[in-house]
Amino acid sequence: MIKAFNILKKKIYFDQYLFISITILSIMGLLFLYSASQENIETIIKQSFFVIFGLILMFFLSQFDPDFYKNNASIFFLISIFLILITLLFGKEVNGAKRWLDLGIFTLQSSEIVKIALPVFLAAYLYNKALPISLLHTFISLVTIFIIVNLVRIQPDLGTSLVVLLAGLYILFLAGLSWKFIGISFSIFILSLPFIWNNFLEPFQRQRVLTLLDPNADPYGSGWNITQSKIAIGSGGIKGKGYGEGTQAHLDFLPETETDFIFSVVAEEFGFIGVCFLLATFLFIMFRCLYLALNARDRFCRLTIGGLSLLFISTVFINLAMVAGIIPVVGMPLPFISKGGSSLLSFYIAFGIIISMATHKKLMQK
Amino acid sequence: MIDLNQRPEEKKNFFNRIVLIYIFFGFLFSLFLYRTFTLQISSYTDYELASTENKTREMLIQPRRGIIYDRNGEIIVNNVPSYNLITKPSQIDDIESYIEEIKVFIDISDDDFLYAKENHARLAKLNRELILKKNLTLEEIARFDVRRHKFPNTYIDERYSRFTIYPELFSHAVGYVGNLNDDGLEQILSEQNLKPRETIFAYSNGYIRGMTGLENIYDKTLRGTYGKKVYEVDASGKLLNEIEIIPSVNGKDLYTSLDIGSQKVAFDQLNNRRGAVVAVEIDTGAIVTYVSSPSFPLNRIANGMSSNDFDKLLNDNNKPFFDRAGQGRYSPASTIKPAIGLFGIENEIIDWNFTINDPGFFILPEDDRVYRGWKKGGHGEINLEEAIIESSNTFFFSLAYESEIEQLIEHLSYFGFGRNVCLDCFLPDKGLLPDPEWKMNTLNFGWFKGDTVNLGVGQGYLSATPLQLAYYSAFLAKKGELNRFSFVQQDKGAPIDTFVSNNIDNDDWKKIHQSMIGVIDNPKGTAGRLRDLKDFTVAAKSGTVELVSTETKEDYKIIRETEVKRDHAIIIAFAPMPNPKYAVSVIIENGESGGSVAGPVAIEVLNNLLKKE
Repeated sequence: MIKAFNILKKKIYFDQYLFISITILSIMGLLFLYSASQENIETIIKQSFFVIFGLILMFFLSQFDPDFYKNNASIFFLISIFLILITLLFGKEVNGAKRWLDLGIFTLQSSEIVKIALPVFLAAYLYNKALPISLLHTFISLVTIFIIVNLVRIQPDLGTSLVVLLAGLYILFLAGLSWKFIGISFSIFILSLPFIWNNFLEPFQRQRVLTLLDPNADPYGSGWNITQSKIAIGSGGIKGKGYGEGTQAHLDFLPETETDFIFSVVAEEFGFIGVCFLLATFLFIMFRCLYLALNARDRFCRLTIGGLSLLFISTVFINLAMVAGIIPVVGMPLPFISKGGSSLLSFYIAFGIIISMATHKKLMQK
Repeated sequence: MIDLNQRPEEKKNFFNRIVLIYIFFGFLFSLFLYRTFTLQISSYTDYELASTENKTREMLIQPRRGIIYDRNGEIIVNNVPSYNLITKPSQIDDIESYIEEIKVFIDISDDDFLYAKENHARLAKLNRELILKKNLTLEEIARFDVRRHKFPNTYIDERYSRFTIYPELFSHAVGYVGNLNDDGLEQILSEQNLKPRETIFAYSNGYIRGMTGLENIYDKTLRGTYGKKVYEVDASGKLLNEIEIIPSVNGKDLYTSLDIGSQKVAFDQLNNRRGAVVAVEIDTGAIVTYVSSPSFPLNRIANGMSSNDFDKLLNDNNKPFFDRAGQGRYSPASTIKPAIGLFGIENEIIDWNFTINDPGFFILPEDDRVYRGWKKGGHGEINLEEAIIESSNTFFFSLAYESEIEQLIEHLSYFGFGRNVCLDCFLPDKGLLPDPEWKMNTLNFGWFKGDTVNLGVGQGYLSATPLQLAYYSAFLAKKGELNRFSFVQQDKGAPIDTFVSNNIDNDDWKKIHQSMIGVIDNPKGTAGRLRDLKDFTVAAKSGTVELVSTETKEDYKIIRETEVKRDHAIIIAFAPMPNPKYAVSVIIENGESGGSVAGPVAIEVLNNLLKKE
């Protein structure tokens, strides 16, 4: 029996730590979503479908050799850009934003695909470049990132464009971007902040930043979401109000309970204990990824694992920090927990790739 | 292209950088955890409260206001239900056509229609009720009843309003209720330890409080304590379900000493003339009659009247809202004389055998000024008893002339002048007991001997309210010992005012009483006309308040052409003698003769009160 398992293990590529923790997280997500959606069975069935499909997809994607991703990175990247472009042209418009492609059985948020494709592409591009990364390669990488970020930003989808930007920059940084370059560009960024504030941010985005600084200035207007979210979290206390008993969530005081603000529901119903448990699961995945990155077989795998796991961590942090009122409100789902097929699948894909990178060893090493 | 010897360097570089980012994230997640800790543990109570306040709405339950009874247990003021036509706007889409259907059988005014139209959407959203019409008539109720099945979302509900079957009789004594504003409500709720929350005010209206009279003084007792209903609501404010009820406690009924019968007699006797009647039970100091005339319609003031009608009352020259009984200031005139006589005895200026020759006037030695009596030629040789019976001015002018003003003032204040004599009257006036200091401060003049002389006949600066005069009357009747006045039996017993004296004994009091009986019974008495009216032996002292000083009767005839310049008629009386039970004071503005105009009112009131005993 054990022998059979070992043989099986050699044939398949599988990281039980990530697989189990992600499965636990997904199941927790379904439970939370059931409460957050006011016990909406339909939502749960749909989400369950994505979870099961996502887990299978993750397993499936981890069977490919990293070289497959490395060699086809450009193709995947071009396909994802193509998806973005057709979204901009033919996408379904919801609330003034064109983010979704109607694929019949489900609507695809194309930015979620490019969010994975970009770091993989950059890793494939930079894995064989000498250290430190030359100005030319830095420039090419930055232009690529800039184009993609802006394609997402004009949808408009500020949250995802921010994550795409971060994912690209992580790869560039991990690949060995020169410290001199980092220092100079960071200084320029800081100096140009007022200019960005005045010229690149929409008025509503500026309002969100101001709201963060003083949510009580307008508690029933722009500060409503964050005020109610903080009340939900705070009133959860240590043990929480109990599953399905969150009054902030169930009496409609909390906005977007199924998506961006689902953490507030968790915090309200499960309290500080629940928050710690959820956070521990995320951190476990985070450190498992660090371990895998450090033991990856080559530079491409290292960069890809590093970039994708940091993408995941950034998404988690931005969501949590937003609902807790640490950073301004940006649309950002909580990975594996929030409702939404595209976002959910994108992280299964990301972890499929991570597991592939981590479990395939060089032939000569075997 | 990266070469082989760079590989270890690359790996180390990657290691450093990813660890750096992880440290950064470690810091960020610690920050987040700290933030959550702050929200959920350090500030838990604040957010817990915020969450509770979010999801609950409180509504007040108004307690039933206490009923006010007279001393025989008859209801003076009650709560009567008013029937309102009410709908549930959340169940009705098109309110206009809905009202049109109702209008067929119940008349709904344009104002009500407009109100319904404007508030329908808001109230529907909040799941609140909408009042279509207030104060339905019995006929309207019947007409709705037979069609009730057609309007499942409309119903008739009762609300209480204040009502008295004696609309003008108790307007000043009992007073009226009015709307309670937010500040008043907030104060009441904090007294009750019901935490006043904003939402309470948003959902509250129609609460009343006592504005004047006993309704005001005993508001706290009558009011009861408010209860509240706590509802769970969603974010839109829609009421979901009832979480908690704190029941209201009904107000306590108020059993007053007022007597409907004598009140009615007093009111009818005044017959809308400007004036006031106050009668009290001497043993207890309980006010049994308290009328100010003209009066105003209590029910309509309390439950809403048109601003036009209200303005008419407000601008009426006879000032119906003015409480003459408790706030009107009148010179006591000759009614003061028994008190001045007692002052003479007390200070051994005179005794009962002391006589003077009254030529009909008194000349002030200081400046030869002449102070006249009412009777030309005077009363001749008279003593104190005769001076009271015949109301000799000269006697009291010369007695006052011999008096020290400070002592005289102290003496008069025993009899209720210049002070509040009532425990539960609404804004009682203290009248004016003038002294040299007062005169210097207000008139910038020193006190003249002539001022003291005027005081001797109750004219000049001295003024008192009918309530104070009734007190004075009762104080004489009770021989210098009297309970402070009250409308209600006092729990701890009313404070007792006692006349402290060295030289006045029971005999002196009896003689004063005898003199006052003589005012009516003696052939020379000034109120002889009352002799045939009374059923009992009555002690009295009448007075005529000069508003304009005149030398001769001819002068007065010119003056009396203008009604408001005519003398006020005034009388104090108590009966039955020799053991008096009730004391009364009557004032009739511009009534001219105390004895024959105010007197009959006093006698009828006393007759009514004593007849029942």
